[in-house]
Amino acid sequence: MTVHRYFAPESEAELASLIGRHDDVVLVAGGTDRVVSTRRGQKPLAGTLISLDRVSGLRGLSVGDDGSLVVGALTTHADIEASPTVVDSWTALADGSALIGSPATRNTGTVAGNIMNASPAMDLGSPLLVHGAEVELRSSGGRRQVPFGELVVGPGKTTAQASEYAAAVHVPAPAPGTGSAYVRLQYRRAMEIAVVGAAALIVLDDGIVSEARVALTAVGPTCLDVREATDVLVGQALSADRLDAAAAAAEDVARPISDARADAEYRQALVGTIARRAITFAAERARGRAVPVPASEVKPITNGGGA
Amino acid sequence: MTTVVGERVVRQDGRQKVTGAAYYTADMTVTGMAHGAFLYAPHARARILRLDVTAARALPGVYAVVTQVDAPPDRYGGFVKDRTVFACEEVRFAGEVVAAVAAQTPDIAALALEHIDVEYEPLDPIVDVEQALDGADLVHPDWEQYATGYPNIVRQGNDHGRMTTVRGDVASAFAVADLIVEERYVSDMAHAVPIEPHAIVAQWNGDQVTVWSSSQVPFLARAATAQILGIPESRVRIVVPYLGGGFGGKCDVHFEPHLAILARAARRPVRLVFSRREEFTAVDKTHGPMQIDIKTGVMRDGTIVAREGRLVIDAGAYAADGPYATEIGMMMFANGYRIENISIEAHSVYTNRTPSGSVRAPGGPQVCWAVEQHTDVLAARLGLDPVEFRRRNLVADGDVGPTGQVFEAPLALTCLERAIEESGYADALGPGEGVGVACAWWYTLPLASGAFVRINADGSGTIITGAQENGSGAVMALPMLAAEALGMSAEDFSIIYQDTETGPWDLGSAGSQTTCNNGRAVTEAALEVREQLLDLASDVLEIDAADLELSGGHVRPVGDPSRAVAIATLAQTAQGGRLLLGKGSGDVPAWTAHDASGCVGRLGYSVFPHPTFSCHVAKVRVDAETGVTQVLDYTAVHDVGHVLNPIGAEGQVDGGVVHGIGLALSEGTLHREGRQVNPNLLDYKLRTAADAPPIRIAFVGDGAPGVGPHGAKSLVSNRSLPRRPPSPTRSPRPLARVSMRCR
Amino acid sequence: MLHDIEVTVNAQAYTMTIEPHRSLLWALRNQLGLVGAKEGCDDSECGACMVLVDGQLVNSCSYLAVQVAGRDVTTIEGLAQLPDMHPIQQAFLAEGGVQCGFCTPGMIMAAKALLDRNPDPDDEAIRRGLAGNLCRCTGYQKIIRAVKVAAQTRQKG
Repeated sequence: MTVHRYFAPESEAELASLIGRHDDVVLVAGGTDRVVSTRRGQKPLAGTLISLDRVSGLRGLSVGDDGSLVVGALTTHADIEASPTVVDSWTALADGSALIGSPATRNTGTVAGNIMNASPAMDLGSPLLVHGAEVELRSSGGRRQVPFGELVVGPGKTTAQASEYAAAVHVPAPAPGTGSAYVRLQYRRAMEIAVVGAAALIVLDDGIVSEARVALTAVGPTCLDVREATDVLVGQALSADRLDAAAAAAEDVARPISDARADAEYRQALVGTIARRAITFAAERARGRAVPVPASEVKPITNGGGA
Repeated sequence: MTTVVGERVVRQDGRQKVTGAAYYTADMTVTGMAHGAFLYAPHARARILRLDVTAARALPGVYAVVTQVDAPPDRYGGFVKDRTVFACEEVRFAGEVVAAVAAQTPDIAALALEHIDVEYEPLDPIVDVEQALDGADLVHPDWEQYATGYPNIVRQGNDHGRMTTVRGDVASAFAVADLIVEERYVSDMAHAVPIEPHAIVAQWNGDQVTVWSSSQVPFLARAATAQILGIPESRVRIVVPYLGGGFGGKCDVHFEPHLAILARAARRPVRLVFSRREEFTAVDKTHGPMQIDIKTGVMRDGTIVAREGRLVIDAGAYAADGPYATEIGMMMFANGYRIENISIEAHSVYTNRTPSGSVRAPGGPQVCWAVEQHTDVLAARLGLDPVEFRRRNLVADGDVGPTGQVFEAPLALTCLERAIEESGYADALGPGEGVGVACAWWYTLPLASGAFVRINADGSGTIITGAQENGSGAVMALPMLAAEALGMSAEDFSIIYQDTETGPWDLGSAGSQTTCNNGRAVTEAALEVREQLLDLASDVLEIDAADLELSGGHVRPVGDPSRAVAIATLAQTAQGGRLLLGKGSGDVPAWTAHDASGCVGRLGYSVFPHPTFSCHVAKVRVDAETGVTQVLDYTAVHDVGHVLNPIGAEGQVDGGVVHGIGLALSEGTLHREGRQVNPNLLDYKLRTAADAPPIRIAFVGDGAPGVGPHGAKSLVSNRSLPRRPPSPTRSPRPLARVSMRCR
Repeated sequence: MLHDIEVTVNAQAYTMTIEPHRSLLWALRNQLGLVGAKEGCDDSECGACMVLVDGQLVNSCSYLAVQVAGRDVTTIEGLAQLPDMHPIQQAFLAEGGVQCGFCTPGMIMAAKALLDRNPDPDDEAIRRGLAGNLCRCTGYQKIIRAVKVAAQTRQKG
């Protein structure tokens, strides 16, 4: 736990140079995950601790000329949840951020923290996957953009180099007629972590699905892209039969484990249900109907949803 | 007519608590204080092959490292003297304290723990109760030689508390029953989870030790600490700073002896504060897992004619005060219903799990849940409405309880009818919604308790009591009672409490009885002061004391404010001359008459004295695909006698209901190989504010005779469950018990 | 390694010398003697440690003390100047929103943050705003009521 050096850089240049100079760096943004795991003895803080909270220019949401969303690495979940732009056009992201922890957690927890900790249960993972987001990594040597699915490769594992830091997330502009949603199974209405989660993005063109993506949370070592769901959904109307096929595709991809939160068996059994709900809500939004954020709080629309 | 009692009086400790000025044990510092830490057993069952603390002791900044070698060898315990301060030769649950360290800083203490060299030979843990009963290895191989605190204890193998309830002729009654339903219910381990984790500070002064402790029962902690250390109780002082909740998890002696021994070895005061993880794994007081078999015979009209039951409680590695939970659980098999023929057998079984004990309504919720579920099943099988079935079976005047107690005008039915009315039970339900009703009974314990009341020179009052405040407001009601007796206001009194050196003996914050028993003591003490004030005033006013009254802070001739003399004036006159000091304990009311002959192994709860009744109704919505359940609306009706302070009474019910919803829907201690796997608040899920339903509360029975002051009775909140248990196709583990039990 | 920082806590300026891995909660309790914020868990799951940093609600147990350099921290002790009480404190007291009191400091700070953002919250907004603060005593009922009463008082005042 001994920290030998502590830095609180104020510019990206300073940050990049510090990361380049030290090989035992731990970056802390809001601290919501990192400080906790340190005290639990899971991940000791390393010799060089760099706090990101003062680096200017890394927090905020903006929409680029091409209509894409740029989310600064230090943007908090509270920022995302409160952004009408995100809620309107990248709704699944807002669904995810709005579910995280409690108001205090959302005030301090950041997008970069959520991504770079690479937890299989991260609530932004599946929304970023279905929206085709890329994470911009920077270092003193330059910058590159990596698709989210290629960045996070295992529990706590990313393909970022030691000299790189996450600077921003780029989320492409949604096509007209897009709706997206993220739903997670939770036992309580707050202070939860995903037991099973699913995000969906649906583009409707005159009632026909023209684009579809589905991703899963907490049922594999990383968030999982359900590629086959795209094949079964695109080109047709969203019928019960297509929903079933997409849910089945999700079930095929899932490979959950058992832990204190749920048995693998239960998780597996719920994958189809949660995926179906995410797809349904995304489609509702694509149709222009209001489904409040977070969608997990909304009574399911599907038959047999019961509640 | 009361003038103070019954008012919504704001609690006296509230101001400190809302401003951040209330100091709890973990907030204490003492000059020269060292920091303590425990080393815990990592195995559920293992032999200690080597325990070498040399390297730890040699570290700079380490003041002491102690193990059982440094502690008295005698075993201690309330029911069975089965434990030592530190693990001795064998560890019996993951979390048992093996050694303790005192060091200059918490970091050094943590480092010292890593330097304790201990080698274990892991043994197969005994974690299955049936296996434990059926002649598995003994958790305590030598335990036939252990002393017990109760001569009645029946021992057999790992069973350290076989008990029975026998009334009537069960076999003959089953033979005539129209329908017999037999079921098994299994409940999980759960934890008390006070938001304040345990903390203890010990400081020696010569041969006397003061222990500041987050205890619910300072006098019991003092007695046990003195006994363990082999010193008189007069040399042990237990002081409880503000207590951040207990819910039973802080009952019994806990770590006071450990810290006393550690501080003596360190030759300086030592503080130890538990982390949340330790609060789960090391605190040997859980809501014990139960296996409940219940078989009931009914007639077509719904009359219950016979009940047979078997209760097996996984009592964990040490008996502690667990057998109380077993016995109370036994009593809950009857649960306010008229059952002429009943036969229940109970077992408290040693296993290699965290010891169970007196968590909130010990033994009650688990059995009440099973019985009320079973009641719904019986009603359904008979084609009767669950409310009508209960109506036909709840006890009425003159009915007889499982151990022969005769009910006098019980309010069981009143609670049921009122709850049905208040809750809108019969209203239409939305999709996925269900409504459930459950009844319960409880007891009011008549116990000895003492208090002093003093009037100071300026006319203000001081209550000095042995009672303990755990947060429920039990002690906060005391100024109201003194004020009522003395014609003063509650704000006129300060309270000195939870310090064994100042107040007379009290059981502590346990058994839902503080306001009743200590309230009686305070009232009696205040009445003694009243006599002293009347005598004084009689001299001053030259009027016979019998013609005087106390009102509005004055003594005056009855009905004549013009000649009133202020209590402050009298107190000023008395100062140095006559004492304005009262003492009280009150005559302890008799326990309800009963007959437990024919029952074996009974330990003290062979009757539910001065019973109280309750009925709860819950409306829920179940997500049929996931099993996730939300409680939408809740009604709780309790017979608690006269309500002394509605704020406190409602608060008790509110808290109990939400605790119960947690137990039913999301709480539960999970184990793997005898080790807890969810010792944190992310995975042990208390309900949040967003999950708590609105709660409607009604109290009935005001004016009925109660045991406590002004007709007060005990208040423990009970449990309810849905009428239509949802049956999700696949249940998540936390929802394995889809029914709700709320207390 | 020790790090020097300057911070304002409850309108009082401090300089602190602190190890970078220490939490804000640790610093408040052990360096500044402000023990109002409580430690109820190790992992931001109970909310008893909540304070405001630059007006934002945070769990001080999982916030690095060094990160508050130059910032403004408000703890329960700084909510009002004694003997006055803040309307939220008064409402918790009068409505019975406090029992054992251990969750109370964090609960009141969460209520403060909520009312600063939303001066007239409905029940659902209050439940959500306090969802990070566990209470075992009250069942939340009187706490929710207290926040409503405080909101009304503040609007009137």
